[in-house]
Amino acid sequence: MNDSVLLLTLVAAIASGTPLVFAAVGEILTERAGILNLGVEGMMLVGAVSGFWATLETGNLTLGLIAAVVSGALVSLVHAVPAISLRVNQIVAGLALAIFGRGLSTFIGRTGSPPLVGQPPRSSFEPILDGGLADIPVIGPLVFGHDPLVYLSWVVVAVSSWYLFRTRPGLELRATGEDPAAADAAGVKVTRIRYIHTMIGGALAGLGGAYFSLALVPSWQDDITAGAGWIAIGLVIFASWRPWRAMFAAYLFGGVTRLNFTLQAYEVEVPSQILAMLPFLLTIVVLILITSGRRARFLGAPAALGNPYSREER
Amino acid sequence: MNRWNVRVEPRGTVSPLLAVLVPLGSVLLALFLGGVFLFLTDQHPGEVYVRMLDVSFGSARGISETLVASTPLVFTGVAAAIAFKLLVWNIGGEGQLYMGAIFAAGAGIAFGGAPPAIALTLVLGAGALGGALFAGVAAVPRVTLGTNEIITTLMLNFVALQLMNYLVFGSFSPWRDPAATNFPQGRPLPDNASLPEIWRRVDLGLVIAVLIALAFWWVIRSTRWGYEIRVTGDSPGTARYAGIGVTRKVLAVFLLSGAAAGLAGAALVAGPVGALEPRSLALNLGFTGIIVAALARLSPLGVIPVAVLLGALNKAGPALQTIRVPSSTVLMLQGLILSLAISGTFLLRHRIIVERKPQTVEEVPA
Repeated sequence: MNDSVLLLTLVAAIASGTPLVFAAVGEILTERAGILNLGVEGMMLVGAVSGFWATLETGNLTLGLIAAVVSGALVSLVHAVPAISLRVNQIVAGLALAIFGRGLSTFIGRTGSPPLVGQPPRSSFEPILDGGLADIPVIGPLVFGHDPLVYLSWVVVAVSSWYLFRTRPGLELRATGEDPAAADAAGVKVTRIRYIHTMIGGALAGLGGAYFSLALVPSWQDDITAGAGWIAIGLVIFASWRPWRAMFAAYLFGGVTRLNFTLQAYEVEVPSQILAMLPFLLTIVVLILITSGRRARFLGAPAALGNPYSREER
Repeated sequence: MNRWNVRVEPRGTVSPLLAVLVPLGSVLLALFLGGVFLFLTDQHPGEVYVRMLDVSFGSARGISETLVASTPLVFTGVAAAIAFKLLVWNIGGEGQLYMGAIFAAGAGIAFGGAPPAIALTLVLGAGALGGALFAGVAAVPRVTLGTNEIITTLMLNFVALQLMNYLVFGSFSPWRDPAATNFPQGRPLPDNASLPEIWRRVDLGLVIAVLIALAFWWVIRSTRWGYEIRVTGDSPGTARYAGIGVTRKVLAVFLLSGAAAGLAGAALVAGPVGALEPRSLALNLGFTGIIVAALARLSPLGVIPVAVLLGALNKAGPALQTIRVPSSTVLMLQGLILSLAISGTFLLRHRIIVERKPQTVEEVPA
């Protein structure tokens, strides 16, 4: 029963969706502060290569994760400084980070001897395939059969949702994204909040990247994230900037990226290139659907998203 | 004791000197920071940069190859510049280039028997049409529903890439070379549908690119339509109040931007690449066009020299491998250049004033 195609597809969807969960929740926190960071793909790649490198050097997966988180947070400053302090156009600043992160990660992966590219992982996160609770029909593989990072992603979703909607700093964060001038007048430290949450977004993107290089693949190759960072940005919109919705949307996308395995099981032949288009097409279609008509107003984008804030120029 | 006071004040106008110095300075600073990084990773920055200069400008062959590499960047740079000027965030130059290449190669294969003038017109026209139609997929929802074009154009880049891969690697389409049985590759365009070379490998595509850039520069600078675009870009609210048809302008500029990016694809398949060859087309040229536009401060005229600069950088990348430096160094430098160039706009718009603090009463000796 635990070998049914549907169940295996769901389990695979969760695994493939997990990097998107990390990255999308990170971007939600950043955008809730009013900062649009299009550099997610770059931050994920830097996290992926740093995590893989640190694990290869130390043999310790926890240190790998720490490297991914720290490098993701640091590289997010390439966006944060121009976007927050210099108040430049956030779209272009984010693209610069996306390009820079891609170049930096490829460079790190190909420099050094021997280069990281093509090296087998020294250690990786493994799912619990059978034994113990994973043997329970249906629930077992779906709830108890994952690798530790999937559980970490659930914690991240729960904590960030609670933080956003149930705590004082979360309220200040949302106020900053809605109306920085009013928040500032109420004593909220707008610049500090924007920096912190851009870096948290970077840290979570780094973690999402590390999921590729330490669990899903697991090794390093150029552009290992294959556009997941861009999809994560789209996910934020149809999750209406809410972490729980982002998680389920991410699993839907994870399922679409794994569709080829499911279709193979049913012996349906679809060219791999067409399948690879699907997550991107789905993003476009859903985006058009949710922005059509009056529903768009209830999406809940932070009102000041993408707007620089300067006390002097208020 | 801190006796200095640093103030930041908005500037009214941008001085023309700064408008050139700041982008130039950002390129130099990016090269310097890149050099520091290269040094820290045990490379020799001096050797890398000398090698890059030598490869790109050190010989007639180098210069001609740099110009070949610049041609698509003039097109994609213009595409980004005109769109961004109107606050249309077309990040889809990459995908529009692929779609232009697909349409142009299709036209070239279908009408390659026609006389060169007709075949070439069809190839370039098809390229522009493909790019414009593909931009339309994002432009129409934007103007009718208000769908965020940043996300849709980004996603369409991947769709076009996979479509191109499918046509050559995943199927036996007319775009695939039937002669290549072992390794799939694009079917070469007939000679009649190829751009004539004018100096070494530099072909007519560069001339067309420069003419298009000049045309857009003139239109934006000197026509009523261009004036309205500038007003709309500076302040959409004012434009609406003044009775300027913003929606129609957004649609028109979005499609023209797509057409320009599509022409980049057409000029590649009818020029140096010679076929719908995904490996030679998927080189980040659409994204690099955004860097070109940002450095040129969205001026179609400025795009021309900046495209040569970034074309040289692109050209130098693969050559670095011969001195065992990863070619992605170039990608990293490009990201830095864009980041610093956009940061530099802060200096253009603000004055930083450092002045002595007025001495307070306590500090005055009795």
